[in-house]
Amino acid sequence: MEPALLRARARCLSALRRWFDAQGYLEVHTPTIVPTPAMEEHLEPVCAGDAFLHTSPELAMKRVLAAGLHRIYQICPCFRAEEQGVHHRREFTMLEWYRAGAGTPELMDDTEALIAACAEAVGVPAPRFERVPVSELIDPGLDPDAWFFRWVDEVEPRLHAPTIVFGYPPWQAALATVRDGVADRFEVYLGGLELANAFAEEPDPDVIRARFAASAAARTAMGRRPHAVDERFLAALPAMPRCAGIAMGVDRLVMALTGAKDIAAVVVP
Amino acid sequence: MAGKYDTSEFRNGLKVEIDGQPFVVVYFQFVKPGKGTAFTRTKLKNMITGSVIDPTFRTGEKVDAAEVDEIEMQYLYADGDNHWFMNLENGEQLPVNSKAIEEESKYFIDGVMVKILFFKGKAINVELPNFIEDVIEYTEPSVRGNTATGATKSAKLACGASVQVPLFVEQGETIRVDTRTAEYVARVKK
Repeated sequence: MEPALLRARARCLSALRRWFDAQGYLEVHTPTIVPTPAMEEHLEPVCAGDAFLHTSPELAMKRVLAAGLHRIYQICPCFRAEEQGVHHRREFTMLEWYRAGAGTPELMDDTEALIAACAEAVGVPAPRFERVPVSELIDPGLDPDAWFFRWVDEVEPRLHAPTIVFGYPPWQAALATVRDGVADRFEVYLGGLELANAFAEEPDPDVIRARFAASAAARTAMGRRPHAVDERFLAALPAMPRCAGIAMGVDRLVMALTGAKDIAAVVVP
Repeated sequence: MAGKYDTSEFRNGLKVEIDGQPFVVVYFQFVKPGKGTAFTRTKLKNMITGSVIDPTFRTGEKVDAAEVDEIEMQYLYADGDNHWFMNLENGEQLPVNSKAIEEESKYFIDGVMVKILFFKGKAINVELPNFIEDVIEYTEPSVRGNTATGATKSAKLACGASVQVPLFVEQGETIRVDTRTAEYVARVKK
């Protein structure tokens, strides 16, 4: 905890809310305690009695979109067990926003404008992002294990400049749509930190159900417990408008803008 | 049989063995790509050669612990190929190949106590005390009136090491030197 960094953090948070207000986004709050966590192969939720603390508000926010609110955002704590390091904490602050009628290019514009607003709030120059397809950085044909190893060992350490990386292999689609064999997803790198992850949201409940089943099988194979399927989410999906959504780590955003090296410096540990 | 470390046990200073060589962890970082498994990025310093490698490990991967022991010994003298040390507890004398400790041996003042590092029973390196005190054997005389702050000159110590010292320091004086940075710390009254 560093007082100057907590001040910078507060200025970022207020700049974020001002930006979303000006763009017509509505702030929402979804439950922190959820009966079933998002089905992610590599995320371990924190248990809360017979329920779980959410690893991200994604599924609940899509229910809000389906209910008819078409520009929404949320800033909330999220929880992921087993994650600890200078860029990771078990409890961290997430910003998620969703925009109906938009695709990933519009969300990239949003991302750049919003980071510029935060940069101005903390008194640093706005970063200028390059947009680079994943296929220019890494062989898309690698198998998942080799792909991630190469990414961590060789590609990511060279992403010093502000970069938006887009178009992922289909097996990394998660909840993004896949078009022409490419997952319509992007990630944002600033100051060498992976800051955000965005999807053009897949609308088809049958496609999502099949991906949940594949993730559950992968979890079982890794010795992780599979989760129950979030049926409320799947039931709401047909009413969800075409949209894109993004999750950004607020602690890391503050780190990237202030040059802090340890996430513990920008939060109250 | 040496133990093994899991990547979650990595800490700075941990000693590990890779391809038969002893390394010390000088940096480690937990990394987790958006939709992937976790990894640990590291920088490892070879304890014999001093060169640094930067392997990435998959989470849960096991690495052999390096069997490195250290014994405190007193420096005695150097002959042709070796520097000789004595274990003051049992009087045993030990030669260490001079080439392996070329850097460190510049700071061997008479009777200095050092830590000898052993890997699989073989002496591989020495660890100096953080500070030593020694006499300046040669340095240019001070120039009167030159008071530029931060200006330095070279000084050769009796032990053989050369360090940069402030201009007011004179030949024949004893100074304290930080062996980790090879930097002048202060004059010492003898």
